[in-house]
Amino acid sequence: MSLAFLVPLFLLGIAGVVVPIIVHLTRRQRRNVVHFPSLMFLEKIPYQEQRRRRIQHWFLLSLRALALALVVAAFARPFFDQASGAALGSGGPREIVVLLDRSYSMEIDDQIEQARMEAERILTDLGPLDRASLVTFSRGADVIVRSTSDRSRLRGALDTVTVGSGATRYGPALKVAQTILEESTLALGEVYLLSDFQRNGWTGDEGVNLPPGSSLLPIEIGSEHEPDNLMVADVSLPRQIVAGRERITPTARIVRQGGSAPTTASVSLELDGREIQTREVTLTPNSAQPVQFQPFTLSQPHTTGTVRLDDQSLGADNSHHFVVSPGSSLGVLVVNGVRGSNDPSLYLRGALEISDDGRFDVRSRRSATVRPADLDGAAAVFVNDVQLDGGSAERLRTFVEDGGGLLIAVGQEGGWPASAADMLPGTIGPIEDRLQGRGGTLGYLDYAHPVFEVFSGPRSGDFTGARFYRARAFVPADSASVIARFDDGSVALAELRVGRGRVLLWTTSLDAFWNDLALQPVYLPFVHRLAEYLGGRTEALPWFVTGQVVDLADPDALETAGLVSSEAAGIAEGLDQIALSPTGNNVTLQAGDGPRYLPLEEHGFYTVRQPGTDPERPFVIAVNVDLDESNLGRVEPDELALQIEAPTVVDDGSPRLSQAVELQREDQERRQSLWRWLLVAALAVFILETAISNWVSRREAGAARAVVG
Amino acid sequence: MATTRARHSAAGAQFLDPAVLGRISNLELLARTVVDGFLTGLHRSPYLGFSMDFAEHRPYMPGDDIRRIDWKLYARTDRHYIKLFEADTNANFSILLDLSTSMSYGSHSLTKLDYARYLAACLAYFSNKQRDRVGLVTFDHEVVDYVPPSMKHLDTILHTLDQVTAGRPGSLAEPMLRITEMLGRKGILVVISDFYEEPDEVLRALAPLRARGHDVIVFHVMDPFELEFPFEEASGFEDLETGEQIPVIPGKLRSDYLAMVKAHLASLEKCFADNQIDYRLLDTSQPLDEALFQYLLSRERASKAR
Repeated sequence: MSLAFLVPLFLLGIAGVVVPIIVHLTRRQRRNVVHFPSLMFLEKIPYQEQRRRRIQHWFLLSLRALALALVVAAFARPFFDQASGAALGSGGPREIVVLLDRSYSMEIDDQIEQARMEAERILTDLGPLDRASLVTFSRGADVIVRSTSDRSRLRGALDTVTVGSGATRYGPALKVAQTILEESTLALGEVYLLSDFQRNGWTGDEGVNLPPGSSLLPIEIGSEHEPDNLMVADVSLPRQIVAGRERITPTARIVRQGGSAPTTASVSLELDGREIQTREVTLTPNSAQPVQFQPFTLSQPHTTGTVRLDDQSLGADNSHHFVVSPGSSLGVLVVNGVRGSNDPSLYLRGALEISDDGRFDVRSRRSATVRPADLDGAAAVFVNDVQLDGGSAERLRTFVEDGGGLLIAVGQEGGWPASAADMLPGTIGPIEDRLQGRGGTLGYLDYAHPVFEVFSGPRSGDFTGARFYRARAFVPADSASVIARFDDGSVALAELRVGRGRVLLWTTSLDAFWNDLALQPVYLPFVHRLAEYLGGRTEALPWFVTGQVVDLADPDALETAGLVSSEAAGIAEGLDQIALSPTGNNVTLQAGDGPRYLPLEEHGFYTVRQPGTDPERPFVIAVNVDLDESNLGRVEPDELALQIEAPTVVDDGSPRLSQAVELQREDQERRQSLWRWLLVAALAVFILETAISNWVSRREAGAARAVVG
Repeated sequence: MATTRARHSAAGAQFLDPAVLGRISNLELLARTVVDGFLTGLHRSPYLGFSMDFAEHRPYMPGDDIRRIDWKLYARTDRHYIKLFEADTNANFSILLDLSTSMSYGSHSLTKLDYARYLAACLAYFSNKQRDRVGLVTFDHEVVDYVPPSMKHLDTILHTLDQVTAGRPGSLAEPMLRITEMLGRKGILVVISDFYEEPDEVLRALAPLRARGHDVIVFHVMDPFELEFPFEEASGFEDLETGEQIPVIPGKLRSDYLAMVKAHLASLEKCFADNQIDYRLLDTSQPLDEALFQYLLSRERASKAR
């Protein structure tokens, strides 16, 4: 340990010590100037130079010099260099990043505690000039402490680390480490990865490139053994309308990974926190079994349910949470003309009425006029093969602008009053026949559109079997979008946004006169999707997965999350919200114009309400763990390290290394802060000098008066 | 100093205080006031050697002043003749005025240069009044202005005196040598200076003038502060000519200073006396009569010697 100076150049100021001496000796005192004709006589007088050139108060002069020296030393910022030599001898200070896995698989065999002990050991081995960061990670990465040499702060942060609910993802954590190392001024970097190294967390294309001079040091926590884990992989919640009430029959799928012998587990169903049923299931190694529970009647909104499995290995995947609410039917008005005995809406109405859960409330009107009363409770209107009058068209315009949905199927009789032509997504032309061969087909479907999105997957609905023999010519407007075309390029389905609602135009018929689509299996889901899209219905999700985020200010997102009504959740515009996490943490979401994101980081039930309220049926969001984490297969740590090993760097006296050492010196100086004490000492010396010099002056003045007297 | 004052009162003349003179801006008025006042206090005429010598007669011409007709000759010759006289001036009188920066010092309302200017104006006026040819030479370390001696140059001299300022270092040797060359005809020279040079050097500088036969009168102008050194506070004393500055504690130096000044004055007086140069120390706080008395004494001595 030696005394060093951070800014030694300031020591040149020590030369200022001679200033008071020079001033004293060279008689450069400031005094009044008297202009005199000639100094001829004065210069001849042997003046008492010796008196000025003799220092009379050595002690005072020493005090002044000492004070000045202390000030100069303070500006030079001294410090005790405790370990610079040692640090340089071992290759220089290091930037250490400890990545600690807190995914829920770390709860097995208390691996999180083992990881914490390993991290503690790493912190203990830190050199005096080393800096360390603590980063915990699961699906994402959180920097708990960033690049510090404060050991106590690091240890304090380490004690707060607990197991989370997320799945393991190495990419974000390694990216964070890469960023810390790139921003570091230290030449050497070490990344300690403390994890159980689940294979699912590493895809190999994370694109991590540690900077030169840094290395990844994987530390495997726990030991690899044959996994034997049971989990609730999925729960299906089919609904039925029985006697006007909804009944749900939950079916859980239990999966066993690993194992060597058949095992029996107990599976229970809880509703609103009370256990309703229990089933026994026997599973052979690496197998799956469905467990069906007795149906229950759904009467209350936001009913919470949990399928719980009795298993000792990994707890987080042994329960599966869900939230269900009674569904509400969508009001659909079908308007069609009177064409003899033929009913052009026979197939349409039949398709809408076929559903187990009664999702559509279908009303029919055979008239060319739509009355205001007809639109009460309707969310979607199908105008099928009828020429409406102008008044009806205007009523429908108001209906659409207020958020309703309208589908116009022009058929043989269909048409639209010219007074409301701007509502249409284009101009309707004459009838065009496709009588050659087997007729036309649908050649283009916009699968990105919500209507066709569900048919985008393989075996999800085949529109190619339908034949179209006749359709209306249609010229789309510039503001309209075409979402389906026939194989000859003519428009089959076009859309126009009007106000808050939407208008779809189907250029052929919805019955079996002009095409045979109504006879195809895809007709029913197609009509259902049309009605749901027009009515703005969003399918509620019974549960989310950890890591997802819900915007509580977005009505669509809330509807997706299963919110039945804003009153039920206590949610109103302009008021704050409080979300209570499964572990009891309160998250306050400030009211405002922007989004209110609620990150779902824990598995269980999040309760959302207004501050100070306690609704009987609060808005609840169910969150389950990501089951990727339940796959306990491991990746070889060295194999992972080899894929992201950084190029090494040698100490060639590079400016970066010297700069790093300089920064460490600055850090030491800042911690010791000797300059403060030096300034205090200088101040004390100045005060002492002032007091003594005043005393000496008074004493000498008194002596002089005595001589004069 | 006490001796000088006693002599003033003995003369019975009441003169204007130098501070009052300082408020008279017109030098001619100032000189007349001083000189006339001075003359009224004298018991005999100071005008020495003044005469009108007969030159010749010439016939009267119409237009001539009939008062100048020599009636006695008319009685003898029955013709009108005009009597012509030849004007006689007594001597060349030149004033040598020091304009060195040290002359600008003044502890009261008058600087030494002001005092010297008044003195020079008075002497010039006085000499002109007794029909001397008066001239002026101003100098510092060289000759600054030269007004040749003439009876008609009083106005020029007074104007020159009105304009002089002190601004440069001074020395005697060089300008005196130059003045010796300029003043061909011997006369009366009045040197007005503060003589801040060693007595030997002063004498060496004035020696050529004396050698030419000039009557040299020296007026040594000193400020009372230079003579008494009444300073109290420790100060830096700056030389007006060189700008050099030294710290001085007056209380500790006064006695030494006064002793040195006294020795310097004594040495000057002795040197001048040995070389037949009239010397008078003038205190700028005292009236100008001392100088005029000295001048008259010198003229008287000179006339007796002649």
